[in-house]
Amino acid sequence: MSNCSRSLAAAIAVALIPVASAFAAAQVDDAALRAVLDRLEVLEQRLGAAKAPSTAPDDGEVVAELQTRLAILERKLEIQAEEAAARAPTTPLVSIGEKGLAVKAPTGDFDFKLRGTVQFDQRYFLDDESPAFNDSSLFRRLRPSLEGTLGPLLAYRITPELAGDSATVVDAYVDVRFNPAYTLRAGKLKGPIGLERLQSASAIGLVERGFPTELAPNREIGVQLQGELLAGRLSYAAGIFNGAPDGRDAPTVDADKHFEFAARVFAEPWRNDASALSGLGFGLAASVGDKQGAGNNFLPRYRTPGQNVFFNYRSTVTASGEHQRLSPQAYYYRNAFGVLGEYIVSEQDVALSNSPAAKATLKHDAWQLTASWVLTGEDASYRGIARPNQPFAIGAPGWGAFELVGRYGELDIDDDAFPLYAAADGAASRAQAWGIGLNWYLTSNLKLVVNHARARFSGGASGGADREDEKTVFSRIQVAF
Amino acid sequence: MKSLSNLLFSLPLLAASVAQAADITLLNVSYDPTREFYREFNDAFAAYWEAKTGNSVTVQASHGGSGKQARAVIDGLKADVVTLALSGDIDAIAQNARLLPPDWQSRLPNNSSPYTSTIVFLVRKGNPKSIKDWGDLAQAGISVITPNPKTSGGARWNYLAAWGWADRAYAGDRVKVIDYLTRLFRNVPILDTGARGSTTTFANRRIGDVLLSWENEAHLVLGGPGGDQFEIVVPSLSVLAEPPVALVDRNVDAKGTRAVAQAYLEYLYTKQGQTLAAKHHYRPSKPELVDPTSLTQFPKLDLLDIAHFGGWAAAQKEHFADGGIFDQIFQPAR
Repeated sequence: MSNCSRSLAAAIAVALIPVASAFAAAQVDDAALRAVLDRLEVLEQRLGAAKAPSTAPDDGEVVAELQTRLAILERKLEIQAEEAAARAPTTPLVSIGEKGLAVKAPTGDFDFKLRGTVQFDQRYFLDDESPAFNDSSLFRRLRPSLEGTLGPLLAYRITPELAGDSATVVDAYVDVRFNPAYTLRAGKLKGPIGLERLQSASAIGLVERGFPTELAPNREIGVQLQGELLAGRLSYAAGIFNGAPDGRDAPTVDADKHFEFAARVFAEPWRNDASALSGLGFGLAASVGDKQGAGNNFLPRYRTPGQNVFFNYRSTVTASGEHQRLSPQAYYYRNAFGVLGEYIVSEQDVALSNSPAAKATLKHDAWQLTASWVLTGEDASYRGIARPNQPFAIGAPGWGAFELVGRYGELDIDDDAFPLYAAADGAASRAQAWGIGLNWYLTSNLKLVVNHARARFSGGASGGADREDEKTVFSRIQVAF
Repeated sequence: MKSLSNLLFSLPLLAASVAQAADITLLNVSYDPTREFYREFNDAFAAYWEAKTGNSVTVQASHGGSGKQARAVIDGLKADVVTLALSGDIDAIAQNARLLPPDWQSRLPNNSSPYTSTIVFLVRKGNPKSIKDWGDLAQAGISVITPNPKTSGGARWNYLAAWGWADRAYAGDRVKVIDYLTRLFRNVPILDTGARGSTTTFANRRIGDVLLSWENEAHLVLGGPGGDQFEIVVPSLSVLAEPPVALVDRNVDAKGTRAVAQAYLEYLYTKQGQTLAAKHHYRPSKPELVDPTSLTQFPKLDLLDIAHFGGWAAAQKEHFADGGIFDQIFQPAR
């Protein structure tokens, strides 16, 4: 029986008390009786009960009528309760809120969620003469995301990318969840290497990720075993993948018939403690595999913070053997303060298609340190600011949360890459970049970002001169739910 | 060598069929007032099947308003057989879920109805409101208990019986017929979802002056505790309700229970099945198979069958579909 029905039942009982008392004393006040009948009629109409046939206003018949009408209301409540009980096991629970739309079976085993991320950017390049870049407005990400569970064992996620000229699929995987310690994930998913790459796109500190992400795989296609141990203090992932080049997605098919093995272990030993170290996490990730082939499916192109390519191999270069990555990584979050650091080295055997004897193992590396401070006091975290303490609202005192972010990073190309495998007047051998940003979280769903970044290069211009510094002002409107 | 491989392939199938035959479970999805009948019939069939085949069978039964039960089967309830109040409800399963062929009603005798029934009045002992026929139900001061025609097959028969009487009484004057139905349903304080719920409302909660009831349900009340406080009134005209039964082909084929489910339905037409139907106050479709003395409980009266109303599809569309006549005449209190 619903609370409403219980309240009505109680009200009915209360309404009839004076009638019973009156008859007990054999003193019927017509006005009082009429008032009680009126109240009963109001309750009947609230409950959707038809009024019982009226009887003559004889005292005895009035009592009989009241008894009948009370019995009808009681039976109505009984039927409502039976129908509610019958409906309960099959009626799905639907909710919509700041986390999107969710539909859940009453048993809890099946659910479906519609979520999404929209990032719309304004991008300006300052003092860009050679090379010159186009200032532009663009959708950086436009991603609806369908997630759900199919019973206690299966879960899935499908995330298309609608930004850009053609739609693609960013994530598409199925989880077989044996228990929290062992989940098998199969499909297209983030490779388990880069710390910032594994961070949600809606939670990254600046508009673009740092240099280490350029050396880490983006999305891999394969199968990964993952899980959490020791009450979440230790997480792991290990998988077999087609093998993505640095900073890019894996090709849809494994063109070279060589798989890549990747694994990551990450520890947060004090995660569940109330100590200053509770926000400390550190780990190690590595991958190894063979790559055999030429072109963008096998060899990387490294990009600036403004997403312009500053390093590329010569067209005659082929991946010709083992590709290894190693990445120590850590973060620390304490109250409003956060810092994230990672280093990654990527080592690839290469050769020249027009001179097969010319082989080399080239080792590129990158690192970054990103610090953040939430000016309005909310807790910083790897997952971003969950919700402002005082969300922005028109006509209300809240302004949301403000966060300052600063980053420095470097990417160093192996000196042996020049001049045989890369041209010094078209590919820089080193990039150093810093950036600052202000993030304004108006609500848990709306974030405004403005960044300024500068990058400096060694080489990469005509005659071996240094490529022109890149200076950018990027802003972003982000809606995520 | 080929014979050996055939044998190896056959062994799992043989083992599976043996396991299945040894422990068969059928689900009969039925309507509200058949609980007592099918409880006894299921036991009788299980005994018959074990004697005949040496295998045990358990028949589970699900009961509720006929329309609701049909919806449950359409939505995925894995019924081996359905034994509902109206052929229209089984038609809905055939049309909406395609679980059985459209001609299902021709596969068993008597339009696939092993028993029939009709609608009578159950009133309180001594008939204090002097209710004798359908016209009395629309009088002021009469409280009528009937389930909701939207969810209950029995309720649809109740409604059509009232309509049939009014159509004859008012010589086909549609305005007067609808006015009569409107006044009748104005006297209905509660619409239960099924016939059994209405019986509870009338007999146990003591609400109402008259219950529009399946004949078998009325007899069940008379034979139960406190049955001496009620009596049956047989109106001048009623309906010939032919509750049909059917095999749910896709379900039995998926479960491998076709043979036993078919035998279950055919057993309804045997002497034992017909005798049990009569015992539970259903009118046997093969009266010649039962003891004549058990038929004396069924009075002869003028009965209209569903053809009189143009068949179930037409009746459903005109009277009970959303926006139909019932929606126009019945306005629950707000």
